[in-house]
Amino acid sequence: MNRWRNLNKSELIAAALLFALGAAIMSRAWEWPYLAEDGPGPGFFPLWTGIAITVLSAGVAFFHVYAVFKQQPVERTSWDGAARVLSGWAGLAVSIALLKPAGFVVSFLLLVLFLVIFIFRRRFITALAVGLGSCAGFWLLFAKVLNLQLPVGPWGF
Amino acid sequence: MEILANLAHGFAVALEPMNLLWCFLGVFFGTIVGILPGLGPSATVALLLPLATQMSPTGGIIMMAGIYYGAKYGGSTTSILLNVPGESSSVVTCIDGFEMARRGRAGPALGIAAIASFVAGTVGVVLLMLIAPPVADFALRFGPPEYFALMALGLSMVVLLAGKSMLKALISMFVGLWLATIGIDMFTDIPRYTLDRIELMDGVSFVVVAIGTFAIGEVLANLTSESGGQKFEVPKGLRNLMPNWQDLKDSRFAFLNGSLVGFFVGVLPGAGSTIASFVSYGIEKAVSKHPEKFGKGAVEGVAAPEAANNSETGGALVPLLTLGIPGSGTTAILLAAFILWGLRPGPLLIQDHPELFWGLVASMYIGNVMLLIFNLPLVPVFAQILRLPAYVLYPIILGVSMVGVYSIDQRLLDTWLVAFFGLLGYLMRKMEYPAAPLILGIVLGDLMENAVRQSLMMSRGEISILYSRPLALTMLILAAAVLVGPMFRRIAGWRVKVIEQEA
Repeated sequence: MNRWRNLNKSELIAAALLFALGAAIMSRAWEWPYLAEDGPGPGFFPLWTGIAITVLSAGVAFFHVYAVFKQQPVERTSWDGAARVLSGWAGLAVSIALLKPAGFVVSFLLLVLFLVIFIFRRRFITALAVGLGSCAGFWLLFAKVLNLQLPVGPWGF
Repeated sequence: MEILANLAHGFAVALEPMNLLWCFLGVFFGTIVGILPGLGPSATVALLLPLATQMSPTGGIIMMAGIYYGAKYGGSTTSILLNVPGESSSVVTCIDGFEMARRGRAGPALGIAAIASFVAGTVGVVLLMLIAPPVADFALRFGPPEYFALMALGLSMVVLLAGKSMLKALISMFVGLWLATIGIDMFTDIPRYTLDRIELMDGVSFVVVAIGTFAIGEVLANLTSESGGQKFEVPKGLRNLMPNWQDLKDSRFAFLNGSLVGFFVGVLPGAGSTIASFVSYGIEKAVSKHPEKFGKGAVEGVAAPEAANNSETGGALVPLLTLGIPGSGTTAILLAAFILWGLRPGPLLIQDHPELFWGLVASMYIGNVMLLIFNLPLVPVFAQILRLPAYVLYPIILGVSMVGVYSIDQRLLDTWLVAFFGLLGYLMRKMEYPAAPLILGIVLGDLMENAVRQSLMMSRGEISILYSRPLALTMLILAAAVLVGPMFRRIAGWRVKVIEQEA
């Protein structure tokens, strides 16, 4: 049963999640009228969309398992560097959470410092130069020149 | 001869110093807002509406139209350089434009985008001038069933955007169609998939999804190593930063295809430049002698959607000027401006206010030349952005993305959504689910649902209305051909393989 070692778990997990999404879309759509007096109701379009996602994701899983069973070449998903990616994304999420209490300039400066120091492994002084330069550029261009309303912290920027 | 005399009169109006200035300011601001994601032409035209109504109608409409088509020029810049689509119509440009940038061909990509925009913008104006009234009449024959068929044709382009797996491309498209249903249902006022959050009542903006999956997804995918993933090459020398003769030769059909598709799709109210860009890309790939190059930096893959995107402006002005029907957000604001000036766009506009119509047409010729002169010399300058090291470039992309989505409605939820779709975009890359069909689905989903429901309301549930009218049937057959075509090609491939094995 060595052939099952080629199963790409990521592929199956993704298909299962999509299947669940399709099922959730369908179950919610079922609560709304499928047909109204004068034509299709609000449940009509989402229901068919959910059905399509469910069927297609089942198809992806089936064809993958079939390919493994038939010992056809199957690509594996590499997750090398995923921890760094998730760290970068977490940094972005924290920066977004800080937008309201700290304002755009400070939260973006912290994001740049985090990315340059911890993800790209550059010196603090380099990170500070990149952070201050980009923050000043963004603030001048968007807030001052284009007069866009960016989130403002207690310091007024 | 009458057209030439009218055009000469238009040029006399457009070449007045003040009108030239308004034209220049319009295309200049248009290019700037086009480059910045989130701040689209409709928002800018709306911001300038109070100012424009203080001007003469001719000067005001020349400036506002300049912003409209100038923004289309600028939209390709961030798509090509940063994989950040500022507008949904620029999503297709990302596919091959960013690939060209990756391969050290950002300059030629930007140059071809500018030239395609110039050619198509000019073709759009010529068509606006020559065939506006009959084409507007044709557009009026488009009812909900025809719109449904047009959307089906647009969605069938998923075949051409699919990577290795058609099933995954279809899933991506259907998820996009579902995302389009989020928000208040227009027919019944029932909130759908809003999680009881007021911010979601208006739905999820396609700009948020596009910037998340393309720009943030790309940045995240490049964080896997300290060097920041693949380095961009920027060749030295002006000659290497401009499109060469071969690029122009390869793009000649794309210019024509994009110009015609863009104009005719633009004429249809509500269809918009996104469908035009997807359809022209699909046609280009379908007729290409080397379709395998698409998605890997084919210059035609930039030329066709950019041409369609720009030619659409001329098309979109047809129903506005000849029938008084706005086909998009921007043309709706232009209509508001006309009304504030005390003018009523419609069949009599050209007759009653020739200086306005012909002045606008002539100013669009002049504006397109201005944009080319303004944009081409900037190509080498913009291309230098890619010389920035990864630790400078990627934070800038994240910053532009955050500001871009926040500036749409000043909602923090949009910044959370862009982060979510960024992670989704990264996962889609890893699992080889293409992102372009997701955008195709979210953009066309709303229009398609409305068209289906209106059609079935018209027929009291009789489904045959969707395929019984000749125009709708023709487009549905075309859509089916696009969908089934690759299947036949695959079967033919298997046949050849079997014959070879037997021999």
